[in-house]
Amino acid sequence: MNTLTYLTRRIVQIPVVLVVTTLTIFIVVRATPGDPVELMLGMQTSPDAVEALREKFHLDKPLYQQYLIWLGDVVRGDLGSSIRLNRPVSQMLGERLVVSLQLATAAMVFALLISIPLGIVAAIWRNTWVDYGATGYMVLGFSIPNFALALILIYVFAIELDWFPISGIGSSTSQGGGVWEFVSPYILPAVALGTVQTAYFGRLLRSSMIDVLGQDYIRTARAKGLKPAVIIAIHALKNAMIPFVTMVAIHFGYMIGIQITIEYIFAIPGMGLAVLTAVVNRDFPVVQGFTLVIAIFFLLMNIIADVIYTFLDPRIRY
Amino acid sequence: MATNEAKPSTRRVSRRAFNKGVASAAGAGLALGSGIAPAFAQGNRELIYGMWGGDVGNLSPTIRSDIKAGILIYNLFDGLVRPNYAKRTIDPWVAEAWSNPDPLTWRIKIREGIKWQMGYGEVTASDLAYTWQVHLDTKSWQVRTSFPQVDSFKTDGTYVLEVKLKQPLGAFPGITMGYGGLIVPENAHREMGNDTFSLNPVGNGPFMLESVMGSEVILKKNPDYWRPGLPHMDRVVARSFPDASVRLQSLLKGEVDFLTHPDAKDVAEASQHPDFVTHSTAGWTWDYQHFNLSANKGMAYHDKLVRQAISYAIDREAIKNEIYYGQATETDNAIPPGFLGYRESLLRYPKNGDLAKAKELIAQAGLSGYEVEVMTSDKDWLRKELELVAAMVSQVGINYRIRNLDIGTFNNLWINNHEDFQQMLEDITIVAPDPHATVYWFLHSEGSVSSGYSNPDVDELLDNAMATTDPATREGYYHRIVDHTLEDCSLIYHVNANYTRMHKKELEGFEPGPQEYIEMLDTVRWKA
Repeated sequence: MNTLTYLTRRIVQIPVVLVVTTLTIFIVVRATPGDPVELMLGMQTSPDAVEALREKFHLDKPLYQQYLIWLGDVVRGDLGSSIRLNRPVSQMLGERLVVSLQLATAAMVFALLISIPLGIVAAIWRNTWVDYGATGYMVLGFSIPNFALALILIYVFAIELDWFPISGIGSSTSQGGGVWEFVSPYILPAVALGTVQTAYFGRLLRSSMIDVLGQDYIRTARAKGLKPAVIIAIHALKNAMIPFVTMVAIHFGYMIGIQITIEYIFAIPGMGLAVLTAVVNRDFPVVQGFTLVIAIFFLLMNIIADVIYTFLDPRIRY
Repeated sequence: MATNEAKPSTRRVSRRAFNKGVASAAGAGLALGSGIAPAFAQGNRELIYGMWGGDVGNLSPTIRSDIKAGILIYNLFDGLVRPNYAKRTIDPWVAEAWSNPDPLTWRIKIREGIKWQMGYGEVTASDLAYTWQVHLDTKSWQVRTSFPQVDSFKTDGTYVLEVKLKQPLGAFPGITMGYGGLIVPENAHREMGNDTFSLNPVGNGPFMLESVMGSEVILKKNPDYWRPGLPHMDRVVARSFPDASVRLQSLLKGEVDFLTHPDAKDVAEASQHPDFVTHSTAGWTWDYQHFNLSANKGMAYHDKLVRQAISYAIDREAIKNEIYYGQATETDNAIPPGFLGYRESLLRYPKNGDLAKAKELIAQAGLSGYEVEVMTSDKDWLRKELELVAAMVSQVGINYRIRNLDIGTFNNLWINNHEDFQQMLEDITIVAPDPHATVYWFLHSEGSVSSGYSNPDVDELLDNAMATTDPATREGYYHRIVDHTLEDCSLIYHVNANYTRMHKKELEGFEPGPQEYIEMLDTVRWKA
């Protein structure tokens, strides 16, 4: 099977995976107690008002019909409207997906800037104080919860030093100003979100580099008298990056869905917080619409990772 | 995390200085160093307003909204009347006057010359009739709150609406004209439909909608506003901050100019800050214990002696201090300060409780103790409060089994008086400026949020209070109703939590009130 056939098969599988995913979410959110209509209308609502709103959102119909109606609307490009906010889900998604992608990108850039040099130096100077220092950082990066790190960063860099703003992502203030006004609100959230990735990627690259540096062709390169920098950059790093790059692609998709605490603390209008709020309020159309998009994004990132594999390692064939 | 103390500027490396350092190091020609406070950058005509929660939706008075959206709605739409908290009266606003020629008829005169935003013409009685008809046709929540007594209405000329009631309603100005008194322009609403209008509201208030994006809503000045010289601000940027500590730090750091709902634990310290003004006023709220009296008939709490014992076991001052950090007022009754019928916050039950009396009442009820499941929602202050209350009642032998629920499950159980709930702790914001709202809805056997409590004497008093227009007579009825509630304890009230706002000291003109929804920003301005 060539790569094109493999990719075609993966793409054809996407709708099946999405149906399974959305159906699971559909059942789970409805299985929890709580009526979105009563939550939205409040306590002094008449039964007539409750019924009228249930009818509007098809909540008066059997579950399988609700799902089929939703699926039919999705196929036609209509994700419905939020029960609580009365806003089109597609509009909410448009606003929030951009913010989440920007934050994930910023966090990923930070993670790569830290983890690549960290992994390389830890592997080169294995079992020295450099390695111990890098490994210590990685353990710390894994261990510290991102919400705790976020609060520390706010205290030190926003309040005490006054270098960066606490909030502002997705606000008119950040979009109406200069480059710094746009970039600066991303710095602390990106560090808080990306620190665990620096540890993960750094450790992955370190072990991958150690493995590659022990290979015969590296010994041969050294025997040929190549400069260490050339050996590291050209011969070792390229091969060590194969698992690294694919993990980066997968983690990028993953980061879209794990921003909730960071969004909460830094007041970021992203996808995660919207889904959390929607779950709490049983806002079914928002939960389903957002989950669908997150699932699509995750699947695409997995496919991209598979493609990258074939480019980085010509030996891989599907 | 952070302290709220003022920090000398000399200790800091300012963002401007940091920016310059970064710029020279990188050699980049970025537009750095322009991070001055937004309000000043806008020539002191913009207000950055920090709110709680997340997204805002439903900016139309004809669709139910949450409190946060409600604040914005009240700045987009002027109502028929406005509560006067100091005088405890309902004052004319868009309605210039009203009369009650007979007990079942009310005539509302709309003020002439008030314009709808965006050129939709003048506010007329026809708009009012249309709005109320929308509520009735769409079976909105107002049907059961503002309009249950309304039989019919019709315009009499351009500016007068005549309303016929099914039964007399003394609270008509406060409830129907107050809570139900935000109106929409008929032509704009017909043109857009109910849902689209809520995304693009056309109001008659001091501000008009500029944009909604994510959790930020921008309002801009209504140039045709009917009150001369108002509003003072050209723009209000309302931005949501889910975390209370971060919201407060954003104010202290200058990223917002005004905020609502700081964490109660921070208020005392923050209020000492010389650069900010704190308004902490007793709010029209309760937190209270609610017994499911329509089910679980075998439970001990069906005996009013037991409920009285619980009320005596409560140390309300401890709740005020431990849960609300002093930002609350102890209460044992349904009528908070500022309402018709208010006497004192504590009328019968001591603020520190009376354990001996509580034990005596339990003994009189023939009990030595019992166990009951008490639920509350995911509001963290209520969870803490319930733990404290459980410790208090345990001293008289009552064991509260605490059940913490998410808000969806919680509301589903108690609003429907589901058998699967026995007792709960909840807090509530009172939305309508009249005691009718605080007692009838909760205590009448046919009230919209009745717990199953039924006392024919209370029902009769509530019906009489509802039918009476004379404030003095109504006040007498409400005093007697409250006396009954103190005896029957169908609901046990703990405190009226304060409603707190903070803003920069350079702002002036804000008039704090006890009502969460009606937070008007039209008079707020930067000092010269």
